[in-house]
Amino acid sequence: MIDLQGYGPRLLEGALVTLEVAVLSLLLALTLGLLTASAKLSRHWLFHRIATLYTTLIRGVPDLVLMMLLFFGGQIGVNMITDWLYYEFDVDIFININEFIAGVVTIGFIFGAYMGETFRGAFLAVDSGQLEAGRAYGMSNRLIFRRIQFPQMMRHALPGLGNNWMVLLKTTALVSVIGLSDMVRIAAEATKATHEPFLFMIPVAVVYLLIASVSEWIVARLQKHYNVGFGEADEWNN
Amino acid sequence: MADTPIPLEVRDITKRFGDTEVLKGLSLTAHKGDVITLIGASGSGKSTFLRCMNLLEQPNEGELIVHGENIAFKTTRRGREPVDWKQVERIRAKLSMVFQSFNLWAHMTLLENVTEAPIHVLGKSKREATEHARQLLDRVGLLDHADYYPAQMSGGQQQRGAIARALAMDPEVMLFDEPTSALDPELVGDVLKVMRDLAEEGRTMIVVTHEMSFARDVSSQVIYLHQGMVEEIGPPKEVLDNPQSDRLKQFLAPKH
Repeated sequence: MIDLQGYGPRLLEGALVTLEVAVLSLLLALTLGLLTASAKLSRHWLFHRIATLYTTLIRGVPDLVLMMLLFFGGQIGVNMITDWLYYEFDVDIFININEFIAGVVTIGFIFGAYMGETFRGAFLAVDSGQLEAGRAYGMSNRLIFRRIQFPQMMRHALPGLGNNWMVLLKTTALVSVIGLSDMVRIAAEATKATHEPFLFMIPVAVVYLLIASVSEWIVARLQKHYNVGFGEADEWNN
Repeated sequence: MADTPIPLEVRDITKRFGDTEVLKGLSLTAHKGDVITLIGASGSGKSTFLRCMNLLEQPNEGELIVHGENIAFKTTRRGREPVDWKQVERIRAKLSMVFQSFNLWAHMTLLENVTEAPIHVLGKSKREATEHARQLLDRVGLLDHADYYPAQMSGGQQQRGAIARALAMDPEVMLFDEPTSALDPELVGDVLKVMRDLAEEGRTMIVVTHEMSFARDVSSQVIYLHQGMVEEIGPPKEVLDNPQSDRLKQFLAPKH
């Protein structure tokens, strides 16, 4: 058995933090992605502008820079607001931006832009006749979205979403920079103390691989689910 | 019978796409049991006219009265549109449409296609909707295909399935938009047979078609459109067997 020199439990905790940051950022990114895609596809110019500004900004600035801007810049911004509240209204509050939340928000924000592009393309790939049939049968836009547009769009979106998720998962390693004790940060600390990089980094790599493999399996299952009715016709015809 | 509202009345519909006026003041009244066929060359506006009836296209002018209910319009910066989309949805549910390219929902089985709108739009129970759907599928000869997905069926089967989906709404009026135009010739007959049966049982139907024998045998009224205007209108015996205008004569002349 490999001797992790007492760092085992902490590494495990770190792995959990990594997974939590990844999953929560994913949920945020998917939500923002759907909103962005809807805004970009809407006829309203203001929504369109905001969404375009968002995706251009996010995709043009390095993840690490954005994360530091949000974490350090965000704290300064919050301090300014609380200071103002104190001087003007004598309200004394102190808000500390939490590394965990900052990490989730930044990664979710970054990947929301990529998810938005994936969703947009997938929405456009749905045959308009399918939606028109929904309208012709008295369905509301909401119902059409839930029953027809979303399930059919997912078939086109899943490959891209799966890909984004893999990149997102690996991007969580950046949260160690703002001081969050994820798996990578703990492994780096252990390496500094023991001068044994392989002992700690190889398990870290294995955990990432493990999460990635499980994700691939889940994406494949979802793919199968959303492909129903579209797959190879021969498979059914016999 | 005098108290029964007329299923569908359309008055003076005009429609422009940009600067092109494609419908120039069209009217139509469908009484109960009427089968009205719209014929005309491509570009005559017949499909657009049909699509204005359930507001898949928004007419620029004109009135639409479905089962006595007048649809209210307002003019906004984007143009003329219905005041209340809920009203439009309610009215669309009474006018079920059969499309040229079937448009069965690809991710649902045939049975799910037929029960979808009755359950989610009309609020029927799943059991009631399924029972009704099975009867209708039996009627169009597709009960054994209930669990098939559209992609597993031929065009003719899909279109008969789409007719079952339309019937499941118990519609006031059925709108057919060139229902046989996308089908291989040998599959057209089955679909037309189903439509003839519907006409015989007294369904109110408005059919855009190129099938002249269907128009002749089944319709109570034929409307020949040319460039967005009614060129001739009347019972099939008059319009099809004794056309007045040269254009209609030419349109009806056997090709080749």
